[in-house]
Amino acid sequence: MTVRNPLSGCGVSRREMLRIGASGVGLGLYGGLGPVPFVLAQASRASAAATSGRILVVFEWFGGNDGLNTIVPYGDPLYYKHRPTIGLKEADLLKIDAQFGWHKSMRGMKRMYDEGKVAIVQGVGYDQPSFSHFTSMSFMHTAAPNSGNEYGWIGRTASAMDPAGARDNMIVNISDSQTLAVKAQKHVPLVFIDPMRFQRALFSQEKSVVDALAAQAPVGDAHRYVLDVTKSAALASEVVRAAWGQYQRTANPDLRLLDLDKVAALIEADFPTRLYYVPLRGSLFDTHVNQASPHDRQLEYCSDAIAGFFQEMQRIGRTDDVVMYVYSEFGRRVPENTSLGTDHGTAQVNFVIGNAVKGGLYGKTPSLSNLVLGDNLESTVDFRQVYATMIDGWLGADAAHVLGQKFETLKLFRA
Amino acid sequence: MANRAGWSPGPAAWKDDLTPIAAAEWNDDRAAHLLMHAGFGGTPAEIDALATAGLDAAVHSLVHYERIPNPRMQPFVESGLWDPTLKGFPESRPEATDRAEREGASMGIAAKPSGNRPVQPVSDRFFYWLRATMLETRRLGYWWANRMLQTTHPVEQKMALLWHGHFATHENKVRDYRKMVQQIDLFERGATGNLRDLAIKVAQNPAMLYFLDAQYNVKGAPNENFAREVMELFTMGVGNYTEQDVRECARAFTGWYFDDLAFKVDPQKHDGGAKTFLGRTGSFDGVEVLKIIFAQPVTADYLAGKIYRFLVRDELSPELQRKLGHVLREHDYEVKPLLTAIFSSKDFYSQASYGGHIKGPVEHLVTMLKQLGADAVPGVPDFNQGTIAMGQHLLNPPSVAGWAGGKAWITPGLLIARGNVARDVLVPDMTGFRDWNFNAGTDNVLGQRLREGLDVGAATAVNDPSNLSAFDMSALERDERFNTRISGYVGWQQAARKLIPTPRRAAQIDLSAIVFDSGAKTAAEAVDCLLWRLLRVPAAPATRDALVAFLTKELGTDTVDRAKTYMEDALRLTAHLIMSTPEYQLA
Repeated sequence: MTVRNPLSGCGVSRREMLRIGASGVGLGLYGGLGPVPFVLAQASRASAAATSGRILVVFEWFGGNDGLNTIVPYGDPLYYKHRPTIGLKEADLLKIDAQFGWHKSMRGMKRMYDEGKVAIVQGVGYDQPSFSHFTSMSFMHTAAPNSGNEYGWIGRTASAMDPAGARDNMIVNISDSQTLAVKAQKHVPLVFIDPMRFQRALFSQEKSVVDALAAQAPVGDAHRYVLDVTKSAALASEVVRAAWGQYQRTANPDLRLLDLDKVAALIEADFPTRLYYVPLRGSLFDTHVNQASPHDRQLEYCSDAIAGFFQEMQRIGRTDDVVMYVYSEFGRRVPENTSLGTDHGTAQVNFVIGNAVKGGLYGKTPSLSNLVLGDNLESTVDFRQVYATMIDGWLGADAAHVLGQKFETLKLFRA
Repeated sequence: MANRAGWSPGPAAWKDDLTPIAAAEWNDDRAAHLLMHAGFGGTPAEIDALATAGLDAAVHSLVHYERIPNPRMQPFVESGLWDPTLKGFPESRPEATDRAEREGASMGIAAKPSGNRPVQPVSDRFFYWLRATMLETRRLGYWWANRMLQTTHPVEQKMALLWHGHFATHENKVRDYRKMVQQIDLFERGATGNLRDLAIKVAQNPAMLYFLDAQYNVKGAPNENFAREVMELFTMGVGNYTEQDVRECARAFTGWYFDDLAFKVDPQKHDGGAKTFLGRTGSFDGVEVLKIIFAQPVTADYLAGKIYRFLVRDELSPELQRKLGHVLREHDYEVKPLLTAIFSSKDFYSQASYGGHIKGPVEHLVTMLKQLGADAVPGVPDFNQGTIAMGQHLLNPPSVAGWAGGKAWITPGLLIARGNVARDVLVPDMTGFRDWNFNAGTDNVLGQRLREGLDVGAATAVNDPSNLSAFDMSALERDERFNTRISGYVGWQQAARKLIPTPRRAAQIDLSAIVFDSGAKTAAEAVDCLLWRLLRVPAAPATRDALVAFLTKELGTDTVDRAKTYMEDALRLTAHLIMSTPEYQLA
């Protein structure tokens, strides 16, 4: 099958066109694509610097992933004592060492681990943890446990990287509605879930008018917000769809990437985005009841998606530029409950993945004998230490400024 | 039109002031503001009636609606998809097929005694019900949307929609549209009644009991799911109770369960022992625990704030929230006095409340239809697909926390979707439309292959059956107990054969008559007529000028009388452009 490039006739490459769009030139307020080629040279020069940076992809596993059944401490007899029914058998695990093994569904990530590209961080949590999904995740989103912040940690990181807010599309959020983590003071995150719906449907006679539906002085905060989003929508919709349209024609159709495929598409199109935030949809991680089947499936989907995503980065030639960070809002209680599941808990397992990562186990493994707060794991690593590691160690921004205080980072990146 | 008051937000100083506005401060613009926030907006005639009635009578007629005849409200007509063998429907496909392997039958269907795929009919049955309840729930969404559009009690429907998002339960997990019918009924009846009574009824509602795992909450092994959410999301908000309170609360609710559509208590499974909950000790049950929760002042503040944010505006000062909570407490959690206070107040008509609310997608679409004078929710475009595209799937809120609302309703993608849905309503694509209820998606290919005579193995092959991979070849030879891919397809077919089709008629709209009857003589007056009818935040002068130029060009004349026989299409495009503005998203 031949691939038809819609721009092949005018001597503009797709990559160049996307850069133009991404830097906001040539687009009407409502997303009608203006005349492109004559502004080309100037626009692609302007955005070249912005696309050279390192990229962080955050993959959020909402629902409270059961870390003990993800990285399984099979060498500790207490594990089986706490989980006589739902404990995973040694023979089923993908072993790391004499102590730990990966859940059997996670072959994709295990392979990357064996290649030295996955850091496993155990015992991640915070003091006085909340057992509410929503509260705990809002703490994770704002990096403000038992407190709050108007802006999210990714939004604040964008501010630290680009204090003037001058760069468009610094943050992409693959979601139905904006995740609190990306809320930013100056940057308007690009939020979408279905690239093909991301387009104003207009009849030809309407096209010349939409741009004249001018912006105006806002009557209040809600109005100001809708006006801002209108502008961001106009800047982004055309370029996102162009990137997606091209991507689907080149990707390996057997790869199931969950929503990471949209990230891969934008990275391939040289989007200027440095921060991607992808909350998992339809999460099965909240495993109160009959945990095994949903947990097996969910881990397999996620692990395959992550491995597939990095295969795509390999194909595109961007593996050295991309790091992925995986977290949940909390782990689960150590003893199983009476419904063959587990209830909301405390410390969780995080993953940091990429070529730049020094693979291995990080953090102090929480003890299974010294349980706290009603049968829970004691957290040994503050989650903001991992954030600081991403912000400072990978993105090169000032983590203490973003997080409001200095946190000891983990030495999990290659020098 | 000439006599209409202009846009009339009250002074900024009215913000947070709950004293009523004076009778002389009432006008038709404020009546339009009231009807938009209290209900789903209305036609100029409905607005004029409220304006003429005066503030007190207008608010009273909206809030005390019980005696107003409501002739178009009819019970939901079921397709007949359910039968009693589906009672106790298995939680998962493995549970369904394991039950058949163990007991020889499951969900009223026996396994075959011999042959390949002996458990296939049971697996098919499982998927039949998943598809059936999903499809019937789409019809239920239609039925409810029509109630919102056709009711003479708009406050009742608006509040029912609030409670659906507040006591959020999604059919996706409940998997029984009948329980969702019960729930809508509960939210309508309790829409503006006593909140304590409503919370107790919700706690005993089968959909909620299932949704928050009540069946697993038993003496000696409490499941905290419901106990936590009832305090965190339904009544008090986080930070007003301890983990100990959650555990004690869960004990109080032990033994509560449902038998099909009936609430039951199993005394054997109820923990009747002493509990210490929010500082009180006693052998409380669930009802007593809820009464203790409603004795906490914070509960009134929390719920009053929720009602206010849903109806009026996103931003709410702690001071105003306390005042509203006070009104609710003073009236023992009766909702009507609180609504009357809000709708009469200076705060409600202050500048901050004008355009401070982003319409939710269901509210937005129903309002749009009312403004356009549509008599029924159209079949094209599909109502559910339209609101899903805008971020709200009725009867399927994303989690127990409901929809975030406010600014979360607007992202670049969702904003664009709003304009596109408006276009589909105004200019429906009748010949391009495909009914998603009769479209099995990726399973269509499978059905096509079976009808072409391929066997199950080849039909379910991942690749093209004429060019099978080694993986598919090995699958062909596999002896299996059942094939779930086939079941997905067969289940959809079986459900669709019984399903009552949704009528696919377009919205009956006559913008020409609306404009002509308004007395508009020029294109500019026609645009003003539409702007007044559609917008609650005025458009910029430049926007109006652009629309006038557009309409004049499309009509080929500036004169409405000259264009009256052919102006419908151009008026609809003008309405679409208005609905694509940022201002149209606000109320």
